[in-house]
Amino acid sequence: MSTDKTTAAKAASETQLIARAQQGDEAAFAALFNAQRRRVYSLCLRMTGDTTEAEDLTQEAFLQLFRKISTFRGESAFTTWLHRLVVNVVLMHLRKKGLLQVSLDEVDTSQEEPVKRDYGDDDRRLIGSIDRIRLDRAIAALPPGYRTVFVLHDVEGYEHNEIAQIMDCSTGNSKSQLHKARLKLREYLRHQQRTRAAEVPRSSELEKKR
Amino acid sequence: MPGEDCRQFEVGGAACQQFDRHLAAYLEGEGGPEVLAHAQKCAYCGTLLADMLQIRSASRHLPLEEPPARVWANIRAALQGEGILREQVPAWYGWFPRLAFLPRPVPLGAFACLALLGLTLLITSGGFEPNSARDLPSPGGTVIAAGAISPGLDEAMARTLRDMENAYLSRENFLEPAVKTVYRRSLESLDANIQESLTYCQREPGNTLAQKYLVNAYKSKAEVLASALELGGR
Repeated sequence: MSTDKTTAAKAASETQLIARAQQGDEAAFAALFNAQRRRVYSLCLRMTGDTTEAEDLTQEAFLQLFRKISTFRGESAFTTWLHRLVVNVVLMHLRKKGLLQVSLDEVDTSQEEPVKRDYGDDDRRLIGSIDRIRLDRAIAALPPGYRTVFVLHDVEGYEHNEIAQIMDCSTGNSKSQLHKARLKLREYLRHQQRTRAAEVPRSSELEKKR
Repeated sequence: MPGEDCRQFEVGGAACQQFDRHLAAYLEGEGGPEVLAHAQKCAYCGTLLADMLQIRSASRHLPLEEPPARVWANIRAALQGEGILREQVPAWYGWFPRLAFLPRPVPLGAFACLALLGLTLLITSGGFEPNSARDLPSPGGTVIAAGAISPGLDEAMARTLRDMENAYLSRENFLEPAVKTVYRRSLESLDANIQESLTYCQREPGNTLAQKYLVNAYKSKAEVLASALELGGR
């Protein structure tokens, strides 16, 4: 089956599921949840950096979706609608916690300390030392503002104009935040790399002493 | 910057600072070739560029995480609590108001009511559990033939329903054609509902809602048969 046909078949099946969910059909709700659960949970997890919060927000996002599903008329793609809703739920949560200012434009110069670059510090590349777990840990360690833009752009694939709309900031600010986030991530990852490098000789010394 | 080599610039000097200023734009696909040219000559800036590209690439391929099963359980419970999940009302429920107006004299009624009571007791005693796909009644079979009853049911319950069906079939021709059609359609609909519920029970053995529908469908079929027997025996 060609990709176009597969996409069309998927869309048709999704439309049927939505229509059934609009009638309150439990199996349709379950199918919609199953189709999107991993992407929604991963987005919540990476935007918050916390599994408990991610679970709560996934729940909240799906509940909001199912409560509103009767109003869905198919003007936009269902997944686009859902993911925008998820992002809004997470942003609202971060704002309530005071972790995200109302507008990124307001915090651009004040939120986090600037990312400094140490010239000549170490020219070893990160390549080969970025695995999934280390990267996820480093993303979770980012300040919320940087993390949000980074996750939306580099992980989820949103464009800067979309992020600007969602975050109520300028595209220039989104770009600037993203660059700082990447620099910060690099800093964390290099720190992890140095720590591991320091631990290896220490553990081999301990082995020798035994 | 093009044309310079390692001896022509100081690390962290003006060329590196210019590289820094243009790096973000370059990563967005907006920068000029000078960024790449400098990165090829300066080990520190080259490392920075390689790291940034690596971070960007790795982030795009992060795997999706699986939420715990309790997330759906909580969502489902909330939806049920809010009344968003609707209990599926089988189509055959629509027949009952019509059947209720039918006259119900005594002949055979005693047998039918006793059978219905026995069936209800058997169902509610929890003896039912569909075992395998081969236990399912074949779709499209004779709607009210004895063979339409699932052999996965408790044997006594199956026998009761079968007796009721046989008794009804032997008296069906005494019914007026219009009434007979009503019963036949009702029983067809119930058999379809039983079939659907059995399929769900088989596919999801822990689905209590499907089991509830199935039990209700069997009870309703017994009620319809009891009603038909009362009428047919008049």
